[in-house]
Amino acid sequence: MSDIKVFQAKTIITMDSTVPDATHVAVRDGRILAVGDTTCADQWGDVTHDASLADAVLMPGFVEGHAHMLAGAIWEFAYTGYHDRIDPQGRLWTGLPSLEDVVARLADIDAKLPAGAPLIGWGFDPIFLAEDRLSRVHLDTVSTTRPVAILFSNFHLMCVNSVALDMVGYSETTLAEGVVKWPDGAPTGELQEMAAMFPIMRRLGIDFRALSQRASAIQSYAQVATRAGVTTVTDLFSHLEDEDLDIMFSVTGEETFPLRIVPALAASGDPGALAERALALKSRSTDKVRLGAVKLMTDGSIQGWTARVKWPGYVGGQPNGIWNMAPEQIRTTCAALHAAGVQMHIHVNGDEASDIVIDALASAMREAPWPDHGHVLQHGQMMDDGQFRRCADLGISVNLFANHLWYFGDQHVALTIGPDRANRMDAVRSALDAGLTVAIHSDAPVTPMGPLFTAWCAINRETMSGRVLGDAQRISVAEALYAITLGAARTLKLDAEIGSISIGKSADFAVLGSNPLEIDPASLKDVPVLGTVFRGRVKLV
Amino acid sequence: MKPVPMTVISGYLGAGKTTLINALLASDHGLRLLILVNDFGAINIDERLLASRDEDTIALTNGCVCCTMGADLFLALADALDRAPRPDHIVIEASGISDPARIAQAALAEPDMQYAGIVTLVDGLEFQSLMSDPLIGDQVREQIVKADLIVVTKAQRGVKVPGLDELTRSEVLSAEDTGALAHLVFNEPVMDQVPAPTSPHPAYTSWCRRNAIGVDADLLPTDLARRPAGLFRLKGSVMDRNGTCRDVQVVGQQIEVSISKGHSDPTLVGIGLSERVSVSEIDDWWKQVIS
Repeated sequence: MSDIKVFQAKTIITMDSTVPDATHVAVRDGRILAVGDTTCADQWGDVTHDASLADAVLMPGFVEGHAHMLAGAIWEFAYTGYHDRIDPQGRLWTGLPSLEDVVARLADIDAKLPAGAPLIGWGFDPIFLAEDRLSRVHLDTVSTTRPVAILFSNFHLMCVNSVALDMVGYSETTLAEGVVKWPDGAPTGELQEMAAMFPIMRRLGIDFRALSQRASAIQSYAQVATRAGVTTVTDLFSHLEDEDLDIMFSVTGEETFPLRIVPALAASGDPGALAERALALKSRSTDKVRLGAVKLMTDGSIQGWTARVKWPGYVGGQPNGIWNMAPEQIRTTCAALHAAGVQMHIHVNGDEASDIVIDALASAMREAPWPDHGHVLQHGQMMDDGQFRRCADLGISVNLFANHLWYFGDQHVALTIGPDRANRMDAVRSALDAGLTVAIHSDAPVTPMGPLFTAWCAINRETMSGRVLGDAQRISVAEALYAITLGAARTLKLDAEIGSISIGKSADFAVLGSNPLEIDPASLKDVPVLGTVFRGRVKLV
Repeated sequence: MKPVPMTVISGYLGAGKTTLINALLASDHGLRLLILVNDFGAINIDERLLASRDEDTIALTNGCVCCTMGADLFLALADALDRAPRPDHIVIEASGISDPARIAQAALAEPDMQYAGIVTLVDGLEFQSLMSDPLIGDQVREQIVKADLIVVTKAQRGVKVPGLDELTRSEVLSAEDTGALAHLVFNEPVMDQVPAPTSPHPAYTSWCRRNAIGVDADLLPTDLARRPAGLFRLKGSVMDRNGTCRDVQVVGQQIEVSISKGHSDPTLVGIGLSERVSVSEIDDWWKQVIS
C-alpha cells in the first residue's frame, strides 16, 4: 500500500459540485483519493498529515489552453515592453514608458554582456508610446560595437542598430520593402516582416524553434507556469520533430518536473499525411506530454488588420485581412483530420474566419460521425451569438482571448473594429449562455500567462484606459474560475483527469494566498499565487 | 561568396505548381537546384534519377535537391543557405495562398541571395471564377500582380485568358514552355551566348552591349523600366556620363541598380523570348538610353 498524504488548506475550492468546498484533500500515487475534512481518507489506511499549506487556498491546478513554449525561452532576451512583467525566476521587470527608459535598460544590459555578443530585446510595442518611432539613432546610443536588435511584441517587426544594419549591408540602395527608410533614403533601423528581418535573425542566431526546444526553454516554461498556478499548459503550433520530442520527453520525464504539456502539431502540407503524423504522435504520449492534436492557422490578427472580418469590415477602411490557409484548404484539412479522428485547435480571429471554419467542420461532420471530436475554435474574438449557437449544435468548444480586452481593447474601439463590435469581443457571456464549453487564455508570450488575470479580464472587461468593454458580456467569478480549470481541461479533452478536485483525478492544485470567491471581483488579478501542487508534489515559488 | 539566385513559384491551389516543380527537377538544365516545397505529396521522381530520400529531403542524381519546408519557410530557407555545397539556385514553392512578394523580398534583403523572379501559375480554366471569389479573389489577384513571369496552365498555347492582361504587363508563357521558363529564370545571361533551347518551343533573343557607357544616372531606373516588353532579364554594369559604374540586375518587374564596387568593365547582357522581342528593338531602345 502506497503512502497517503492529507493536505490541509484554509479552503479548497474543488470545482466539483459533490463537495464544492473542503478543508482537506488526500493524495495517493499522485491522484486525489479523498476530499473533505481531516478524516476524509481515514478509511483508506494510515495517513500522513501535511499542514504546510494550511494557510493557503487550493484550487484545481489552472489549465492554460492557449500559450506557446516561447513564453519561457523568450526571457533569454532583454524585456523592453511597456507593461510590468515577471520573468521565470520571479524577477519583476518594470514596464518601460518611454524610449529613454528602453535605451537606459539596454545600456544597462550592454554593460554586462561579453564583447561581440549580440544584444537582443523583445516585447517592445510602439502602440503604447506617444513619442518618436524607435530608430537606430536610439540603439546606437546603446552600442556602436555590438549588434542590437529589438523584437516588437507582435514578432512581425524589429528595430536594429547601425552595427546590425552593416552586418547585412542595408543602406539607401537596399530595395527590400520591409527596410524602413527616412525621407533622405537612409534606413531607420526598423525592419518589417520576416523577409527584411530574416538576414538579421539568421546572423544573430534568433531562431524561435531552436529557442523553444532546448531543455532550458522547457524548464523556463514550467517556471512561468508554476508562478501562474498552472499545472497543464498547451504549446499550440509546435513542430514536434523527433529531436524536439526526445528533449521534451527527457526533461518532462524528471519526477520533479511540475507540468503537463499539451503540444498541438503545426498544420502544414498534405492533410492526409498530417493526420497520419498526428495519430503517430498521439501514440507516443506520456503522462506529462499529451500529443495528438493539430493546430490550424486560418487568418491573421485584428490589431494587425490581417484578420478576415465580415461586413462592415475595419473602421479605417483597411482592406480585409489575409488567409493563412485558403478556405478550400481549411475545408479539406478539417475534413481529413476529422475523418481520421484528430482533434483540432483552429485559430480564428475575425468573424469571417470563424464562419468559414464552422462551415468546414459542419461539412466534415456530415461526412464522418464523431460526436466527441472536441474541436476548439481558438481566439474566436469576433464570434457572435449566432456563431456560438452553431458551435453548440456541432459540439465545438471555444477558447476566447480574454486578455485582449485589457491589452488591446482601446485600440479595437478606436482603430480596428469600432465600439459596436469591440463591445462584444471575446464574448464569454454569450458563449456560456449558448451552452458551450468555454476556456479563456493569454496566448503567452503575446500577453503574460496568468489565468487569474485572464479571469479578471473576462469578469471585469476593463481596458487599459479603464473603459468597460461591453458590460453585457461580463461573467461571474465562479464562471471565470470554471473557464480556467474545468472548461480549459475540456478543450484539451483532459477533463476526466484534471480540472477539478475530484476523486481519481491528478492531484494538481493551484496554491493561492486568498480565496477568489470571497474577494472583490475587481481585485481577482491581485490574488497571490504561491505555487502549485503537481501530482501531489508541492512546488512553491 | 556569390549570392544564390532565388525564384518563387506562386499560384493558387491546383494551378500546377507541383507539375512544374516535377518538370524542373527532372529537366536537363545542368544546375544544382534546391527546391523547397510544402510537402512531398505529389512530388514524383523517376526512380532512375533518385539518389537518396528521407523524411524531408529528396536528392537527385543530377545534383538537384528537393526539401520540405514544414511550417516555417524561413527556417527552411536559412538551412538551404547553410548547405554545403551551396545550391546554384533556390526555388521556393509558395503556398497556394501566400503573397509571393513577401517571400521574394528576402532575396532583396539577404546579401547571400539574389532576386531571381516571381513566377506565378494561373489556371486558365479557373481564372475568372477565382477573380470574382469574394473570399480569395484579392489574394490570388495579388499573386498575379506581383509576378515577373506568368505561366498559364490548362489552356491552349497562344489562347489569351480574358482579363489577365489587365493585371500584368509581365511575360505570359504557356505551361508547355517549361524549357523556356527554365532558361529565362535559371540561366545567367552571358556574353555571346548562343542559347540551346531545351524544348523546340520559343527561341531566345540574346542581347549584349559591350562598352555600355553614356547612361543618365538619374534616368537609369526609368529607362530600364521602359525597356522593350519581352526583354525579361538584364544583367551587368553600365557607366554613366560622369564615369561612374553601376551594377544592373533586372528580372521582370524588379530593377536593381547600385554603384559598382571595385573595377568593372561596363557590359550589359540581356535575354528574352524571340517571339516577343528582337535584337534590333533592344538596340533601338539602348540608343535612346544613351542619347
